[in-house]
Amino acid sequence: MEKKKGQVTIFIIIGILIIVLGILIYAFYPQIKTTFGFEADNPSAFIQECLEEKIVNDLDMLSLQGGSLEPEHYILYENEKVEYLCYTNEYYKTCVVQQPMLKNHIEAEIKESIQERVTECFDNLEKNYLGKNYGVELREGGVEIELLPKRVIVTSNRSLILTKDGTEIYDSFEVIVHNNIYELVSVANSILKWETNLGDSETTTYMNYYHDLKVEKKKQTDGSTVYILTDRNNGNKFQFASRSIAWPPGYGTDNIVTTSE
Amino acid sequence: MFLGIFLIGIVSAIGEVSYCCEKTIGGAWCQNALEEQCSIEIDPFTNTPYKKVPASCEATSYCKLGTCISEGDCMENTPERRCDKELGGYWEGKDADEIPQCKLGCCLIGDQAAFVTQTRCKKLSAVYGLQTNFRTDLTNELVCIASTMSDVKGACVYEEDFSKTCQFITKKECSELNAGNGTEFYEGVLCSAETLGTDCGPSKETTCVDGRDEVFFTDSCGNLANIYDSSKINDKEYWTNVYGGGESCNPFSSNANSVSCGNCDYYLGSTCKDYKLAGKKATYGNNICKDLSCKYEGENYEHGETWCADSNGVSKSLPGSRYFRLVCYNGEVSVEPCADFRQETCIQSDIDGFKTAACRVNMWQDCSAQEEEKDCENIDRRDCEWKEGKCVPSNAPGFNFWETGGDAESICSIASRTCVIKYEKKLGGDKECVENCECLDASWEERQNEVCISVGDCGEKPNYLGYKGF
Repeated sequence: MEKKKGQVTIFIIIGILIIVLGILIYAFYPQIKTTFGFEADNPSAFIQECLEEKIVNDLDMLSLQGGSLEPEHYILYENEKVEYLCYTNEYYKTCVVQQPMLKNHIEAEIKESIQERVTECFDNLEKNYLGKNYGVELREGGVEIELLPKRVIVTSNRSLILTKDGTEIYDSFEVIVHNNIYELVSVANSILKWETNLGDSETTTYMNYYHDLKVEKKKQTDGSTVYILTDRNNGNKFQFASRSIAWPPGYGTDNIVTTSE
Repeated sequence: MFLGIFLIGIVSAIGEVSYCCEKTIGGAWCQNALEEQCSIEIDPFTNTPYKKVPASCEATSYCKLGTCISEGDCMENTPERRCDKELGGYWEGKDADEIPQCKLGCCLIGDQAAFVTQTRCKKLSAVYGLQTNFRTDLTNELVCIASTMSDVKGACVYEEDFSKTCQFITKKECSELNAGNGTEFYEGVLCSAETLGTDCGPSKETTCVDGRDEVFFTDSCGNLANIYDSSKINDKEYWTNVYGGGESCNPFSSNANSVSCGNCDYYLGSTCKDYKLAGKKATYGNNICKDLSCKYEGENYEHGETWCADSNGVSKSLPGSRYFRLVCYNGEVSVEPCADFRQETCIQSDIDGFKTAACRVNMWQDCSAQEEEKDCENIDRRDCEWKEGKCVPSNAPGFNFWETGGDAESICSIASRTCVIKYEKKLGGDKECVENCECLDASWEERQNEVCISVGDCGEKPNYLGYKGF
């Protein structure tokens, strides 16, 4: 009798473990979630849900790395590769702008990074509706990214026609991610203008203009400066590096220097 | 001073030909560097190797600097190659102030303003769905931001579900509500006004508004009312007409942590925040003027104050020591290091107890070239002082003396002094010092070491952590 009771207890424990495991997989693996479980009541919501996490992750990474997912020319700051947006390898000289179209560059980086995921999401969307006996007609289209005040909009120009009892037509899909990268990039551009002209910038000016903005300036030993811009309300960050009018140790007789190269 | 630095630059370059690398092996664009530092990769756009010529980048066509214009934003000091046409960039080989499209003006977008170009203003206005209002007569960013005038708001009264309700909005927004023929707008009147006879009335709730510093009352419908003032909670007049900040409680004061007044002012050191963040609750509502001042090492600093840190060894210019500026904003202190090797010093001023500091270039470079005390101590030109007949830096710079190729040895040798002492032999065989006898005194050596360590990281001294050199 006691043996039987013990077996029942084990089965209950195993059952609970399976349920917990199932919940964890469902919660932490969005790909599995979209393939098996996500209820596509609305194709727009499906695409938003499917793409949002990828875009948020990309934005986080771009923000810490000066606007590039794989920085080519960077300074290592607190284990992050922070890209130089303005740089000179010489002493006493103003920097050459390396990324003059920062906003467009970030948009292009996101576009390239999410291409695969966009295809995956639309494939899953199609499967999902086919599984529900819908007639699905999906037409190819490009992806556009736009950084805007307080948000990032990803527009997929794929069109979708669903037919079952009636017909539903979707010309394009918009994914909106709330993020302040547009504002932070604008401030970064303004700082870069100071860096190109004077080799420095005054952080308090920006904090006086924008009450919720925190601007940190960290001068490095090699003459580089890492700027960290933080929105105090939501913690959104953007950091980048510049090297302009660097001062050498002593007179700096070795005029041409190499840094991180 | 800069002539001296320039000459040093040229001399150092002798023997090593500098190239203009279109791209370096490290990925930087348009840099003057040694040939081996130029990238040998193929440029994917031209299918040819990246360019390099033994000349300064200023003299080349491929690295000529100009202005990149993109979406109305103008970025100077940009090589043409980096101004991507495919992404909508347009490059001009001029400075921004010579390009009409780069002329800045004041872009008024609703109740906000931005000091941008006309093209950018059009773009921003389109984003917000507003008409472009670009003013070229406002030529200063501060004046531009100060000129923002929000449209006058008032009570927009209309019928909804057979009852009279109200929204506190602008006249334009009210006309766009499409709430029927009975819609009426009362400029400068609050929705809580008893005379309007709506379902909105006074409440004890408060809110913070995006872009504003003050704590505002809200009425029972959630509309914005006047600035929070606990003494006016039952004042019908205060719940009827709109009052400005100057007419509200305790103006021209920060009202930080005041439980009764929500007339916060960011520039005076307070802003509206939830009481949980501020650590103190107001008499009514969940918001309060949060105190933005800082506490650092036992001392209080006002919001906006900046001061020089008392960092290790900097007063004695010890090797490794560095100047730092500290900044207090929004209740947080951030540390801004000045340039390393004491190439920048921190200067500070104090007006009525409010400290302002800045990192400033340490002008030590031409001290050793001064022969007159008057020239040496000309603080407009240099940061030097006269010591033992020599002109030495007031703030000794640091050197990378542990690296080969640095100039620590040559600079330190300036302070090197040889003293030849003459003796006369007396008849009895004794010697008597007759010339430069002061050099025999122990204090002479001390004084010379003083001069030596004033030149820079020279002579005998411990580092900023107190470790002795060898």
